[in-house]
Amino acid sequence: MRPPAARPAPPRLLQSAGFRFALLFMGIFSIAAAFLVAVLWWATAGALDRQTVAAIRADSTALLDRHRDGGVSALIESIEDRLAQDVEAETIYLLLGPGGAKLAGNLERLPESLDGDGAWFRARIAHDGASAEARIHRRDLPGGLRLLVGRDESERVQLRLLLTEGVVWSLGAIIVFGVIGASVIRRALRARMAPATETARNIASGDMSHRVPLSPQDDEFDRLGATMNAMLDRISLLMAGVRSVSDAIAHDLRTPIARARGKLEEALATATTADDLRGAVEEGIADLDNISRIFQALLRIAEAEAGARRAAFAPLDLPEVLRDAAEFYEAMAEDAGQLLATELPGALPMVGDRDLLLQAVANLLDNAMKFTPAGGTITLSARQEGGHAVIAVADSGPGLSPEDRARAMDRFFRADASRNTPGSGLGLSLVRAVAQLHRGEVELADAHPGAAPPGLRVALRLPLG
Amino acid sequence: MMRILLVEDDVEVARFVKKGLQEAGHTVEHAANGRDGLFLAASESFDMLVLDRMLPGGVDGVRLVETLRGQGNRTPVLFLSALSAVDERVKGLKAGGDDYLTKPFAFAELLARVEALGRRPSSEAPVTKLKVADLELDLLSRTVTRSGKKVDVQPREFRLLEHLMRHAGQVVTRTMLLEKVWDYHFDPQTNVIDVHVSRLRQKLDKGFDKPLIHTVRNAGYMIRAEG
Amino acid sequence: MRFPYALPVVALLCIHPGRAEPAEASLRLTTDSAEYCESLALRLAGMPAAAAPLPNALSEEGRRLCAGGHYRTGIAKLRRAIRLANEARAGG
Repeated sequence: MRPPAARPAPPRLLQSAGFRFALLFMGIFSIAAAFLVAVLWWATAGALDRQTVAAIRADSTALLDRHRDGGVSALIESIEDRLAQDVEAETIYLLLGPGGAKLAGNLERLPESLDGDGAWFRARIAHDGASAEARIHRRDLPGGLRLLVGRDESERVQLRLLLTEGVVWSLGAIIVFGVIGASVIRRALRARMAPATETARNIASGDMSHRVPLSPQDDEFDRLGATMNAMLDRISLLMAGVRSVSDAIAHDLRTPIARARGKLEEALATATTADDLRGAVEEGIADLDNISRIFQALLRIAEAEAGARRAAFAPLDLPEVLRDAAEFYEAMAEDAGQLLATELPGALPMVGDRDLLLQAVANLLDNAMKFTPAGGTITLSARQEGGHAVIAVADSGPGLSPEDRARAMDRFFRADASRNTPGSGLGLSLVRAVAQLHRGEVELADAHPGAAPPGLRVALRLPLG
Repeated sequence: MMRILLVEDDVEVARFVKKGLQEAGHTVEHAANGRDGLFLAASESFDMLVLDRMLPGGVDGVRLVETLRGQGNRTPVLFLSALSAVDERVKGLKAGGDDYLTKPFAFAELLARVEALGRRPSSEAPVTKLKVADLELDLLSRTVTRSGKKVDVQPREFRLLEHLMRHAGQVVTRTMLLEKVWDYHFDPQTNVIDVHVSRLRQKLDKGFDKPLIHTVRNAGYMIRAEG
Repeated sequence: MRFPYALPVVALLCIHPGRAEPAEASLRLTTDSAEYCESLALRLAGMPAAAAPLPNALSEEGRRLCAGGHYRTGIAKLRRAIRLANEARAGG
């Protein structure tokens, strides 16, 4: 057993669904941001790079042409001239002679890692004290000359720095806002879930009366709450059914059991002949049979109330079932000097449980016959009223007072006037359970209003659709 | 006299059912769980199986019958069950059971059902006339005559009489009549069946000094020539 | 509670900007020195349009800056002077 009323610890951050949703969202957002940065990088730094490469290519081609047309001296002159006019101080040249001697240019020496003709590479250069990056292109000229043409790429480096800085800051901002947002969402989610959680906790601790309060927003949570409430109502109903069955068993099965036990005990103590004893045992068996009949009726009521028997529903012709019932009880009524009349239509098809409908009508007829004096009339009728089938049993007995009518459906209710007639008192509550199983209701009324005695009319109103 | 296999896990119920059936002149083998029951039923020949619906040992009554029927074994089966719900009964009968009796039951009820099941007509040839002493029932013209004199009966009374006569010499209980003649499963609250039987009896025995329908105390009714 | 908050901090530390790969021995450019300043001045002096007012003023300023140690700006001035002188010659 867990200790009762132990409140569960608040969820750790990563266990919180709200937090995880927010993290997920943040992740997706970060991917989108990364994509944006990548596009930006390609569009700016990439373009810059392509521009640089084009300029170097044009420059080196022009210098190669110059060398072809004017020889080494023209090439040297051209390089010197270009350097002299380079206001932005971004060009880099180096011309080496066949022996490796520097002929012209502003690069101190040949970089170490250098492939052959047409190679492209980046090098780090010291420019006016500051370190900068340069892009360099190598061309080999006839006569053992080597020419390097390059451009300072400080701008590109700067741009990259700028973008990186931007990315880092915005990443920081995303994380900070993400964490804050996640916490806010988590809190909001928890606040929204709190009523349902609270209700569930109360119910878990045994108080079934709680329901999830619903907001007017009618959002997902409200729908969840409404579903929970419907489920709880159903559970309550079933529990009430179970409880009333156990109450009924406790209350009204004990009485006949006590009676049977008493009789047997008495016989054991006082019976003098074998025949007396035999009689007592037989009576005891009859009492037990009666108890198991009450038990069976209780189970049937519980079964019908739980709706478990809708599986047995089938199309049936109502008048046929009622004619069977009338024919079944007619002989008994005649023996008691009563008239059992029927008012049944030719056909009234419906869907239902044949056995239970017959049981309900049998209970009503049995009841009516008990309370109708000799010479009285009992009427079994059925007719269609709109979308309903109405089955009614009317008698000419004493009827029920309005107060008794209200209590008549309670299990084991027996009007004081009928305390001495045999019966379990389960008749009407089974009738009601059968009506409810068919989504209908039971109505009690005077059979002959104003007359004395008024008689009782019990009607089952069952929807046909 | 039949050879009956009883599969029932409750020792007390098994004891009194076995004793009762033996006293009625039958041979009874008993198995306390489904596995043993299935083994016995499959390996030996019985006239009748009386099975508890819920059995220990992994093989319950329904499974047992399904297995037997799957092997082509057509021995009549009577279920005993504490499950009274209608769909449970339907489940049992669908699985291949021939009758279903809910606990608690009177032993007389069990015996009557066992004998009714065990002595079902063996010949498939349709019967057109039933005869008990001087009482004759013509199934084609749907008429009843006693000593050649026509007796007027209602259609339901005719079916009641037909059922009694088909089981002439056997006890037929009130519940059996309710199920077989009226075809409903319900609790009639009062002794309505008795009223119907006594009416039929009046019609048949009127003017004759030998009654044909006998009341069997604590059990039901029986039709027979003379006992 | 602690772990998730620590995560962004670690991430921030890992991607600190401006820390590029350690540079290999960098190459020096010879065009930010006093010598080059001098050679540019000489070159300008040898040009016919060097006496024009604007290149002359620029050249003066450039030489002064070079003398003060500001090679980069000085050289830029001188280069602009040379370009102007060059354009004047090409145009004239």
